[in-house]
Amino acid sequence: MLITELKPRETIVSLVDGKKAFIINCQGCKEVHFPEKEATELQKELTADGNVTGILTTDYICNPENMKLRLEKHKSEIEAADVVLVFSCGVGVQTVAEYLEDKKVCAACDTYPMPGFQGVTPLEYKCDQCGECYLNLTGGICPITACSKSLVNGQCGGSKNGKCEVDSDMECGWERIYRRLAQLGRLDALKCPTQIRNYATDDEVSK
Amino acid sequence: MENYTKYKLKSNDELVSLLAGKDNLFIVACNKCFKEFETVDEPDCGEFEKIAAAQGKTITGSVKVDFLCNKIQTEKKLQDMIPEGTENVFVISCGLGIQTVADLAGKPVYAASNSLNYRGHHGMALTKKSCDACAQCYLNITGGVCPIVDCSKSLVNGQCGGAKDGKCEVDSNKDCAWEKIYKRLEKQGRLEEFLNQPVQVRDYSKVNFKFVNDYVKSIRENRLDGYYGGVHPSERKEFTEHLALERFPDPEVVVIPLSMHAGAPANPVVQVGDTVKVGQKIGEAAAFISSPIHSSVSGTVIAIEPHGHATRGECMSVVIRSDGKNTLHESVQPHKDLDSLTPDEIVEIVREAGIVGMGGAGFPTSVKLKPPKPIDTILLNGCECEPLLTADHRVLLEFADDVIYGLKAIIKTVGAEKGIIVIEDNKPDAIELMQAKTADISEIEVVVAKTKYPQGAEKMLIKRVLKRQVPSGGLPADVGCVVSNISTTKAISDAIQKGMPLVERVVTVTGERLKKPGNYIVKIGTNTKDLIDYCGGVTGDDITIKAGGPMMGFVLSDTNVPIMKGSNGIIVVDTDHTVEQPCIKCGRCMDVCPMELSPLYFAKYADEENWQGMKDMKVMDCVECRCCEYICSSKIPLVSKIKAGKNAVRGMK
Repeated sequence: MLITELKPRETIVSLVDGKKAFIINCQGCKEVHFPEKEATELQKELTADGNVTGILTTDYICNPENMKLRLEKHKSEIEAADVVLVFSCGVGVQTVAEYLEDKKVCAACDTYPMPGFQGVTPLEYKCDQCGECYLNLTGGICPITACSKSLVNGQCGGSKNGKCEVDSDMECGWERIYRRLAQLGRLDALKCPTQIRNYATDDEVSK
Repeated sequence: MENYTKYKLKSNDELVSLLAGKDNLFIVACNKCFKEFETVDEPDCGEFEKIAAAQGKTITGSVKVDFLCNKIQTEKKLQDMIPEGTENVFVISCGLGIQTVADLAGKPVYAASNSLNYRGHHGMALTKKSCDACAQCYLNITGGVCPIVDCSKSLVNGQCGGAKDGKCEVDSNKDCAWEKIYKRLEKQGRLEEFLNQPVQVRDYSKVNFKFVNDYVKSIRENRLDGYYGGVHPSERKEFTEHLALERFPDPEVVVIPLSMHAGAPANPVVQVGDTVKVGQKIGEAAAFISSPIHSSVSGTVIAIEPHGHATRGECMSVVIRSDGKNTLHESVQPHKDLDSLTPDEIVEIVREAGIVGMGGAGFPTSVKLKPPKPIDTILLNGCECEPLLTADHRVLLEFADDVIYGLKAIIKTVGAEKGIIVIEDNKPDAIELMQAKTADISEIEVVVAKTKYPQGAEKMLIKRVLKRQVPSGGLPADVGCVVSNISTTKAISDAIQKGMPLVERVVTVTGERLKKPGNYIVKIGTNTKDLIDYCGGVTGDDITIKAGGPMMGFVLSDTNVPIMKGSNGIIVVDTDHTVEQPCIKCGRCMDVCPMELSPLYFAKYADEENWQGMKDMKVMDCVECRCCEYICSSKIPLVSKIKAGKNAVRGMK
């Protein structure tokens, strides 16, 4: 449930420069996004240089039990490598690193932040998981994600013709909220006390 | 596995003040991807009902919906669900679910819960936060220990100096992440490398919501193109897609099963010792849903006995020793040309030629050609969406004229207005050829479909091309369609133009563990093992051999089984070494099921032997495409559980 992007080519090349590498591709979240084509091309190049001891393309390497079963089949290839290059999200890299504690395990991808995609694979970016749901005051439109500035007490005043001043392709979130409230006959919701956002860390909120 | 939480009920005080002045409540709770893995039903719903009741509120009803954030399915479920007299809707779910309902309900919608931030709990590691998705992965510097998540202060340039006895000064229960990093690097002899790193600067720029939104939208559109769900397994067709068809050397002995089709097995009409010729009928159809079978060689019947069968375990089969001459039987004579044949005559030719669906299901084609309802469109299924297989692709390329002839015959037989050849966009050469060949034929059209599995499933194909929905338990004829497989259509052409019954077919023999993959024209009854040996045999011993493709194929534990009418491929692939893990309700199976079912329930109910539950969740609608099993993050063998459920449900009647 995330987007991974390849690290810059130079970074990846420098990680394996002159070393023997074993490559692991995780395609568990492929239906969301995995830079499959780019990764394959790059790996072809690396293989052509003769420094790749093996490539394992699998899914859900974040699932430690099954990852172990699969990695065991490639033990000798991994042993022959100086570095294990993992094309996956940060969870996958760490799961492998923990299992291959004595090996240099490297990440070939960066994981794009997508807070709010807690549902079944991405639909829309709609919820920032702020831990203090404002939807009751806004007719069910989230001001954190629908407003460029994540304002919680009404519009900034900068919108032009209903479009956001930060991004003119975006509708002003607060205009949308106003319209929805008007439609529902709930404009009085705007008279609520001033909201203060709690920026506590995840852990504190969860407690 | 530990439990996890995605949202929790707002505090009692907050709810009481929220409820003030609002009455006639309808409660919607998200029932999946919630709270504890073991719980079946959303527990906070009852709690909220109690609080509302204590405030003297009238509750018009409540509903628990699985994966509320799945807008497409929620939209269908919510229709007509909110009862008359409801004034306010309260939703218990994370912010995604609340907004989905708010968009759809047309009534004031309130959140009764707060989402908990579980950013970083992606992948399977839902119970443990191990990646903050910072977009600038530091793991290469730190030996695979994440300083953002594991260090309380998220320091990226070494320890703060505040740790005591290896424990964090912020949280004394926590190991100092930088000590862990140091130890790991020391063990790997990488300290020097680390100390020589330039100072790292973290980029705190805000997440670009718009980028993510646009991106996700485009992915979503791509995923849901044509029909709901589906997956994109690696195609791996490059092994064989460019290899021209080759005739497999004639086998010395063929074993022809009397059952290679749906319905009753054929009755043998030859005896041991009889001499037979190519195309001679050796088994007679035993019922309306059945099919005759024919000899694929000339020679002598040496046995009629049970023999290993790829899908049925064992099956009565006619064993024929070939004389190597391939003498044609007298009955193999070209029929009249298409214009002079009547539809009934064509149906009879197809029936007598023993033609059945060659995509695997083996339904008698002659029955399909006499649909009970009027048909306007014939869909020719050139998708071949199964990874690895290229048999239909090669038939399209090398027998284009025969395929078109066969399509014309089907159009004529069922009285359809037009025929559409549907080809996936991963076969540009076939598309180009068929477009050129059909350019002057007004009733035939070529449609290019974006590659997505299981597009070749007839219900998906109809939805994609004609936007028609085959009703639950229904057939393509219910929406005015007949779907035919490419090889089957070519077989119809052979039966009419040459009078040749179905005695051979194109088989793709491939896989990463097969030495010499290829596409072969193989006589029905050829031993699978001979075919594999001819292709150079296999590499390694830890392999899986399947009849069919990797998604829907049957595992062959014994390769001493014959090639049959429905054998489109033999694949030799790596064995998957995984074990089933408990379901974590991630919902991906629901997200990919093209029949819009909820496979996660099938896993649960099969284990409980709750067959009524299976039936209620529409297990009989499952097309066994294996998308759910493919995507399952817990590697649950869903299809075998579904098959057990279907068998049990059939037995209930």
